[in-house]
Amino acid sequence: MSKQNTNDTSGSLSGEDMDTSSVLEGAEPWEPIETKLVVGSLICAAIALVIGLAIVPTSIFH
Amino acid sequence: MAKTQRSWYSGMATTEDWWSVWMGLAFFVLGLLTLSGIDLVGWVSYPKIWVASLPDGAIVKKIVTMDKAFYALGGKYSLTSKAFYKALGPIGSILVTYVVFTIATSIGAYFQKWNVKRFLAGWTIIFFLTYLVWFIGHNAFFAASAVDLKKSHFPVDTFTLSLGGGASFILALIVGLVIGNFFKPLARYLSEAAKPEWYIKTAIVFLGVKVGYLPIKAVLTGAKLGAHGAEIGQQMAHLTFELFTAGAAATIVAYLIFWPGVYTISRLIFKLPRKTAAVLGSAISICGVSAAVATGGAVRARPVVSIMVSALVVVYAVIELVVLPGFFTHVWPGTSDPIVAGSAMGMAVKTDGADAAAGELLDEFMRAKVEKDTDGKVVWMPGVITTSAVMTKIWIDMFIGLWAFILALFWVYKIEKHEGDRVPLSEVWFRFPKFVLGYFAAWWIYLAIFFGPGQSGTTPDGLAILKNAKVGAVAVEKGMRKLFFMLTFMSLGIITDFRKLAEAQFGKMVWVYFISLFLFIIPVAIIIAYLFHHGMQIPNMAGVVIN
Repeated sequence: MSKQNTNDTSGSLSGEDMDTSSVLEGAEPWEPIETKLVVGSLICAAIALVIGLAIVPTSIFH
Repeated sequence: MAKTQRSWYSGMATTEDWWSVWMGLAFFVLGLLTLSGIDLVGWVSYPKIWVASLPDGAIVKKIVTMDKAFYALGGKYSLTSKAFYKALGPIGSILVTYVVFTIATSIGAYFQKWNVKRFLAGWTIIFFLTYLVWFIGHNAFFAASAVDLKKSHFPVDTFTLSLGGGASFILALIVGLVIGNFFKPLARYLSEAAKPEWYIKTAIVFLGVKVGYLPIKAVLTGAKLGAHGAEIGQQMAHLTFELFTAGAAATIVAYLIFWPGVYTISRLIFKLPRKTAAVLGSAISICGVSAAVATGGAVRARPVVSIMVSALVVVYAVIELVVLPGFFTHVWPGTSDPIVAGSAMGMAVKTDGADAAAGELLDEFMRAKVEKDTDGKVVWMPGVITTSAVMTKIWIDMFIGLWAFILALFWVYKIEKHEGDRVPLSEVWFRFPKFVLGYFAAWWIYLAIFFGPGQSGTTPDGLAILKNAKVGAVAVEKGMRKLFFMLTFMSLGIITDFRKLAEAQFGKMVWVYFISLFLFIIPVAIIIAYLFHHGMQIPNMAGVVIN
């Protein structure tokens, strides 16, 4: 597990924690699982949109 | 993921979120006592539009002289203690308001383990500064609309900015920003009491009273129109339910589009690491600070990411707060589709405080404009547009926990593949914004009063119960809610330090935020709001007294 994974996400922030380079640089290559996450979310949005427009009385479909 | 054991009631006595529920519901319950003829909330001090001296021919009606710029709401609305509250006068009502809220907030500060002494000092300064700004903001030059001027028989050529109550909010924000950026020692001194999230969450619980009270108000004010009054009341009850369902649908769709969009922009265009992109995705697309912190926890990003993003969220929320209400009112969609504007606001502004405040500003701007444009022939009830803005935001808030849970699952089992880790279902509850519970409780109890013992105002007995309910509701939803909005604006300004952005050197994030927000989030929010809210109308209350 990397250092990032072991850091506690709660608690107050001290001065040295403001080193931002490690969180802004070193991007991992885009992986297929990310494509799945993004596309899956958009497909869910499309389904929710169609269902929502069909059943919500105030939508432009009504 | 969650290594420490937490009970379902963890944080009930110590967190800001829960204390907004306790404080909001405490005053809500006090307000409910008016149902049994006991008025314990009529002391709250509320401003009127004022001038230094009335011009020739003008009368005291919507606009008063300076010495009457504040009044205890009970002096006007109380059914049992009107004389008592009237006798408090402007200064007396402000002092009682100060004492009551000082006690209430100090108890909250104590249990939240803040420095009570420092809180008390900061609170006192912020409170009286807020009332001073509220006073200035209600000068007729800033606040009076054409209709107000007409009702007070002012000369037709009198020029005002017609900003309504919005002037006070803007002034409070400006004064706060001046303190936060030019008087930093003072800002630091006040910081223990400058708690915009607490104040706004409490105000949102009070807003629940407002939403539940809308149909009651419509029936009571509409009663002067005879049978038409009950019809308006039914319309208003129906409208709040429509906002509820349309807001839910719009939010789900927006959520599922916003997050992958911002995540992709962050990863592919700005080449940010996954965890940073995930936190940014939640912060920009979902619910700002809470979402940033929740997602940071879910994907186990370094704390600095959530902190940096939270700072950006606050700064951009202030920018949106200043830009969007005016844009929606005067550019698009204008007064032809006010609910679309309110709903889009709820999806676009990323902190509860700034959203509710921007919704309130939009409400003031829209109502002032429609009254001016129609010469008073169209009058919208205050608070409906604010409600539309808050409704979508409330739904977004409720999904934070669920989304953080989904992301935690995805990260653990798919991205990082830690086979041994388990994500407990209780995580959804821990990340659920608790103030929402207070909002719904207040809303549904007033709605239950309307449809239950109030009998929708269709019988004399029911109407009498609704009149009693009104006394408590008005003090809370009008006086206390607007006071807490004012405190929010002032506090938001005080804690906003624009220099922090430059010092932190996270220019890349600034640009991700800027591009994602203005070129993606806001346009998509407007489209989705349009799809689900286009054509929704606010009942016209022209011809009846609007209080």
